[in-house]
Amino acid sequence: MQRLTQFMALLLAGVFLALPCAAQEEVAGADRYRMREASSGYYEQYEVMPNRGSPFLQWNAPDVPITLGGRAPAATYQADSHALVPYYERQRCESCHKAEAHNNRHVTRRNITCRQCHGGEPIAGVNHYFSTLNPIRRHAMVCAKCHQGASGSFAMYVVHEPSPLLAGTAGSFPVLYWAVWIMLGIAVGTFALFLPHTGLWMLRELFTRKDKGGEG
Amino acid sequence: MRLKRFTPIQKMFHILLMFSFLTQAVTGTARMYIETQWGQMLAQPFGGYDGCLIVHKYTGLFMLLLFLCHLVYALFIIFAHKAERDDTLLPQGRDIGQFFAHLRWMVGGNAPRFERWGYWEKFDYWAVFWGMIILGITGLMLYSPLETSRYFKGWSLNVALWVHRIEACLAMLHVFIIHFAIAHLRRHNFPMDRAMFCGDTDLEAASHERPAWIARLRTNDNLENQISSDAPTLRVAVSYIIGLSAVILGIYLVIGGLMNACIVNW
Repeated sequence: MQRLTQFMALLLAGVFLALPCAAQEEVAGADRYRMREASSGYYEQYEVMPNRGSPFLQWNAPDVPITLGGRAPAATYQADSHALVPYYERQRCESCHKAEAHNNRHVTRRNITCRQCHGGEPIAGVNHYFSTLNPIRRHAMVCAKCHQGASGSFAMYVVHEPSPLLAGTAGSFPVLYWAVWIMLGIAVGTFALFLPHTGLWMLRELFTRKDKGGEG
Repeated sequence: MRLKRFTPIQKMFHILLMFSFLTQAVTGTARMYIETQWGQMLAQPFGGYDGCLIVHKYTGLFMLLLFLCHLVYALFIIFAHKAERDDTLLPQGRDIGQFFAHLRWMVGGNAPRFERWGYWEKFDYWAVFWGMIILGITGLMLYSPLETSRYFKGWSLNVALWVHRIEACLAMLHVFIIHFAIAHLRRHNFPMDRAMFCGDTDLEAASHERPAWIARLRTNDNLENQISSDAPTLRVAVSYIIGLSAVILGIYLVIGGLMNACIVNW
């Protein structure tokens, strides 16, 4: 009888004393791990270290395996992306990156220097795991310095924007390429129609007496 | 003798649209050309590059509000049957025929008999709708890039900026070259068609250019009701000052923009 009483007491305690625990907020469940990070886009550095089965994939990661070494695009995955550049210390960024110095409104409009985003020496490739410009943390480590609250989506803004008129942009940024060409087509079509129309109209009126207009 | 052509509400819509459009044109061009001395000079009265953006954003919101008000007004006119069928600005089949007839007149044929609105005026009217939709959507996207990136990927801002730019250039060039040439600079309107500011037009000129409209008014015995007295001299003078200032500013922006286009990093 005593054993039965003890058993029932334990059973009741197990059932009812568990209730307050169930009401508590679960802060460390395996299923909730990284929820805050996933929703905010802000990760700790150790969380994005390369390892087997890492769930973090870059949105711009190539489909083919990357061979380290050599020049771009493989250099974008190196810890020192300029390691193989001869006489590197005597050159300026624009010496090699001519297009990037001009296709960037941060530079042309805001006088932001290359190093303000790409960091100091050694400049890691933008796709290197520990680079501040790695798409995994670019928004938090670089964009948010000026654009407070920048998200991972915001960091997908193409800072080095290819010229939308060039044929190569159809491959690298097709939406921009086609949007610009369609808009240009509309603009050119409008003026191709209305410029000669207006010019002819003005010429016709120039050589017509006022009281002859509207006849017929 | 003068003939009523626009109501006070229509004149107000045009004046507000004109001032807001010119503000957007100057601030937008200033930002687009900020790398040049000319662009910096344009931006100076607005507080520079950042000041231009603030003015551009708030004026853009005002334009969208104005556009919504005009939609309500237009729907009221339609559903309350405040306009006759032939006064419509909706595109009609005869507009295409009149366009080709007008082209024939330009090379020596007879002029078509235009109604109250010519095809070019209908085009100008509906072009504003197209422009407001394209510029409004892309402008709202660019209004707050951080907020936009919550719903669209960041690269959509690149696309929005280019679409906004090209549409803005199209709108400016159309207004400053084609609209101004037709409304101000062609011989029969030179130096300005003041109908949009004073609300009335010359009856004799209208009967030459829009004979179908005048004939309809005569047939319906409405012509007497549409006759108005000439606007006060002061209003006419102010109309000329505002209208011609807009023309000069527009031509200045076009010439400056073309001259500096090659030194901007697009």
